[in-house]
Amino acid sequence: MHLRRQAARRPHETIITLIDIVFFLLVFFMLMGRFDTTSPFELRPPISLKGDTLPAGGVTVSLAVDGRLALDGVERPRDEIVRRLTEQSAGGGERLFVRINADASAPVRHVLPLITALEGLAEGDVVLVVTPEAE
Amino acid sequence: MRLNRKKRLGMMISVTPLVDVMLILLIFFMVTSTYLNLDMIPLIGGARQTDVTSEGPDGPPGEAPESANLMVRLGADGRPYVSGRAVDFAALTGIVSIRVATQPATQVLILPSGAATTQALVSLMDALSDAGAQNVRVVRLEVQ
Repeated sequence: MHLRRQAARRPHETIITLIDIVFFLLVFFMLMGRFDTTSPFELRPPISLKGDTLPAGGVTVSLAVDGRLALDGVERPRDEIVRRLTEQSAGGGERLFVRINADASAPVRHVLPLITALEGLAEGDVVLVVTPEAE
Repeated sequence: MRLNRKKRLGMMISVTPLVDVMLILLIFFMVTSTYLNLDMIPLIGGARQTDVTSEGPDGPPGEAPESANLMVRLGADGRPYVSGRAVDFAALTGIVSIRVATQPATQVLILPSGAATTQALVSLMDALSDAGAQNVRVVRLEVQ
């Protein structure tokens, strides 16, 4: 008697578990991640255990070790940054919130003139970004 | 004759495009996000803790009297100097806390060297905060 065997079926690869894992990772990164302040240069903020919680929003002025400045990710000279922020703060509307994201190794001679220049803002808060822990 | 009809299966929704989209989103969030826990030190504005001025150590008239000022110089090496003497941060905290306890209105003036790093300045401000100094001012001498 000739028996015909059924061709062995390839087991189904369920992608449901894969979706679960991917979805879990997606939610994790969305919740835990903070969007980079789009600095055009590498920055490592100074470490401070006395900092307050940094609120979201506002504009970010980045300061590199060599004194280069950037406003919201675009490298610009200091005068232009101050002029733009002054116009923005004088324009009314929301109170301007400026975050200075200076590199920990940046010399003070680059940081202080920037802060002094921003003192002229009509309405606004200026804060220095720090991190409570080493990278 | 009885025909055995196959049961109609429900509509199959292909999940492959969904996985593609989720993978793209996942990679996007992985690449664009940073995991630094960021804080802030208020400098100018409503919640001001530290003041930065370029008016020099004496400040404008009407400020705290000279005797209530304590000048702390921050050297280029990142070390604080009090009365011309280099001290470490622990000793500085001790000096300032005694001063603040006896004269609560003491205004601490930080005169940083231009070559000192931002980290050194922040560490100095942390030490002053530990000592209980409420009125801290960073002064910058401008070349005339």
